[in-house]
Amino acid sequence: MGKVIVVTSGKGGVGKTTSTANLGTALALLGKTVVLVDADVGLRNLDIVLGLESRIVYTSMDVIDKQCELSKALVRDRRVDGLTLLAASQKNNKDDIQPAQMKAICDKLRSTHDFVLVDSPAGIERGFSNASAGADEAIVVTTPDVSAIRDADRIIGLLQHARIEPINLVLNRFSPELVGNGSMIDQEDVIDILNIDLLGIVPEDTGVITSTNRGIPLVYEEGSEGGQAYMRIARRITGQQIPIPAFDQKGLFTSIMNWFTRKG
Amino acid sequence: MNRPLSGTTVQIDVKGPTLEEDELAYLRSKLKESYNLTVRGIMVSDEPTPEPIAAAPTTHIIPQAVNSSDSRESEPSRIIPYTIRSGQTEDFPQGSLIIYGDVNSGAEVVAGGDIVILGALRGNAHAGMNGRLSSVIIAMDLVPLQLQIGNYLNRLPIDQKSRGYPEIARIGTEDVIIVEKFVKF
Ligand SMILES: Nc1ncnc2c1ncn2[C@@H]1O[C@H](COP(=O)(O)OP(=O)(O)OP(=O)(O)O)[C@@H](O)[C@H]1O
Ligand SMILES: [Mg+2]
Repeated sequence: MGKVIVVTSGKGGVGKTTSTANLGTALALLGKTVVLVDADVGLRNLDIVLGLESRIVYTSMDVIDKQCELSKALVRDRRVDGLTLLAASQKNNKDDIQPAQMKAICDKLRSTHDFVLVDSPAGIERGFSNASAGADEAIVVTTPDVSAIRDADRIIGLLQHARIEPINLVLNRFSPELVGNGSMIDQEDVIDILNIDLLGIVPEDTGVITSTNRGIPLVYEEGSEGGQAYMRIARRITGQQIPIPAFDQKGLFTSIMNWFTRKG
Repeated sequence: MNRPLSGTTVQIDVKGPTLEEDELAYLRSKLKESYNLTVRGIMVSDEPTPEPIAAAPTTHIIPQAVNSSDSRESEPSRIIPYTIRSGQTEDFPQGSLIIYGDVNSGAEVVAGGDIVILGALRGNAHAGMNGRLSSVIIAMDLVPLQLQIGNYLNRLPIDQKSRGYPEIARIGTEDVIIVEKFVKF
């Protein structure tokens, strides 16, 4: 029996889709069977980030409308074994699906996969209730800015109310330089406010844009900081104990080194 | 011995336990003899002077005795054993709220009496909603968006920074909400 994990945030554009695509690919690379469910009905783009947009024939809407079998609607990612996508309908909107219907889909997928990752749309309305309806656990994505953090806090409250747990945090677009010069909230303060466990930190990485445009998730790219961060997070999801490197310590580390060299 | 007041006339104000006639006479002669002070009169009052309520600026740290009059003792209180997150509210018009957690930005707590937060206050808090102006707001970390006590709103620096010690907000003598280090009730 697999796990259904909703990837959500409250605020839009903080990296839910990027995280879903990368974590799904990373889990498959680790040998897990994974299905990614795009719950952003009407504004889908998980297919693009995965480079699968030209191969979508059926969507979750077709499954709900009994136009096709669930297994037939799953698009296989040919680059890695065990990774499939259930796309969202682009011509419908979020109110065309009921939470119970999404839950039924997730329950079925759970029985045949190790992980079901649901890419939630932004917001706290129907799209979010649909995405979280079948979830056992949640990954909340936030960027280190006050508005994203407040929205993450709002979403955590709703997830707790729905008794979805654990709820883990991915801090995205983290920039050690900006924390170093005091213009970005550091990870300790984010965790202090949100009071949930940190699953990992993904640094700001310009490679994300090219990766999105080419439809090749960052985790395929050797030497990509973002890709490595997602790889570590995936390992933690599978239960491995991987320490979270303190990105903001880099600056401190170098300054200690400099101090020693100056002395010597 | 240096006697800067030598030769002057003084008045003695006595509070608390009253002195007997002979004790006053002894005091009078002792002051004359040892310090060359002439006692002009003795004022005896058995009423203890009330503790002044300090209307201190937010940076001024003084230990304060909170005026615990009114109905505080008779009010019920409710314990909230968790953090109150953005978009969530807790209302308790009947009495005081005690929160075992934080009140985050975007969250709101409203109480008829006091609000005691054993965590950080980052959102909005409204104490004394029924008009008990002796109501206070106490937080381990007081960095609110808005404070209200009775109908007194805000009036504290917008960019109140975390100070690393508990603070108390209440209405001071100058009819503004003042914030000070919390020492004891
Ligand atoms: N770590 C990162 N470094 C740099 N850019 C990033 C990073 N993560 C995401 N982005 C960029 O941020 C934008 C939004 O990302 P994404 O689409 O994953 O967010 P989302 O939360 O799914 O948005 P929506 O709420 O619209 O669904 C994209 O342009 C993406 O390239
Ligand atoms: Mg998205």
